[in-house]
Amino acid sequence: MQHNAQEPHASLPGVVFAAGESPLFALDDSVRILQRKPIGHYRVPTYLRGKVGTVVQIITPIGIDNEEEGFGRDAGVKLHYYRIAIPMSELWPEYSGSPRDGLRVEVYETWLERI
Amino acid sequence: MTETRALVERLPNDIGGVKSAPIQQVEHELLPWEKRCHALADVLDFHKIINTEEKRRGVEALGAEMVNALSYYERWIVAFANILFQRRVLTPTEVARKMDEVAARSDDISQAAKA
Amino acid sequence: MHESNEHGHPHAEISHTERPGYYEIMETAVRELLVEKQLIGAGEIRRQIEVLDSRTPALGAKIVARAWLDPDFKARLLKNGRAGCEELGISFYDDTGLIVLENTEKVHNLIVCTLCSCYPRPVLGLPPDWYKLKPYRSRAVSEPRAVLAEFGTIIPDDVEIRVSDSTSMVRYLVLPRRPEGTEGFTEEQLAALVTRDAMIGVIPANSPAAENAP
Repeated sequence: MQHNAQEPHASLPGVVFAAGESPLFALDDSVRILQRKPIGHYRVPTYLRGKVGTVVQIITPIGIDNEEEGFGRDAGVKLHYYRIAIPMSELWPEYSGSPRDGLRVEVYETWLERI
Repeated sequence: MTETRALVERLPNDIGGVKSAPIQQVEHELLPWEKRCHALADVLDFHKIINTEEKRRGVEALGAEMVNALSYYERWIVAFANILFQRRVLTPTEVARKMDEVAARSDDISQAAKA
Repeated sequence: MHESNEHGHPHAEISHTERPGYYEIMETAVRELLVEKQLIGAGEIRRQIEVLDSRTPALGAKIVARAWLDPDFKARLLKNGRAGCEELGISFYDDTGLIVLENTEKVHNLIVCTLCSCYPRPVLGLPPDWYKLKPYRSRAVSEPRAVLAEFGTIIPDDVEIRVSDSTSMVRYLVLPRRPEGTEGFTEEQLAALVTRDAMIGVIPANSPAAENAP
């Protein structure tokens, strides 16, 4: 298993990638973390819901949705996680530190929308 | 919307950004059983009997009262027992009987040590 | 200092001649039943304890010191943290990846896991209790400067703070800034300045002066 901190490779013409192998989002994309409220299990903390950030890294390898993995599903559809940069001022309106301060967090593909 | 909805939607471990006390830099050397419990978690994940995500879900499923009152590895071992029951790997009766046996065995050892 | 739970009150001291506590009995019962059913081997638990015992902040310190000395290694480490560690003979016994976060004059990194206790265990060992408790987990993402100040670390306003909240398959390791006055230091001398807390990002690496102070 390879763990890369780099952009996944583009496909060679004629080579078909399996479902989920091609990331839906690209570096520098502006994205919103969805305002969804799953019950039972999730790995997107409440404080991130509805917040806007930027894709700074596409995480490989692809992985199973941890909301499903949490109930013992060890195989199935795999998608990308994305490392998202979010300014602290976006998360906490009353943030008193430097306006440059920010958060980085990995978010699963099904939780993001392009804006 | 009822007052109880938040209890369902927000898992007990989802605490990012919640008001909290100053940090006390506490740490302790793990007790032997705590280290065994950690090793057990890793081995259960290696075999995908309980994967790491399911362990996290099992801890959340204990509910806020137990999450707040039990120590770290106390939460883990109770969660493991529950998940193993759900997966029909173990039964509550088996664990209850085995716990009685382990307790009786250690009583014998401490009696012998005193004699 | 003994185990503290979320409320911070200590549990009773356990004497070795007393019968084991309720949760220890539960741990023994569950483990023995799994071994009896041949779902796991007793030897696997012993082996994994050896694995855990072999992982300490000294490994992370070695990685940091090597990165300070070898720019090519540092570049590979920043590109793929797990491969960089594996290059030094430090295996990843789980499915996690590693991103190494470099502190610079302009950026200070801090790691936390708000949802549980994700931590770069293969290279730092098991996390300290405070890392797993509510005050650090809840506040590191919303008031990192106040949290750092409680560790005695004051970051100037013109330095950007980046907090990485670890939630899934990636773990983080902070590569602290190399302290002043360490020109000509060997890898071992440099590694001695790198603490666990510096690799979490709550303090800088020790300066040689502080290290030599009585």
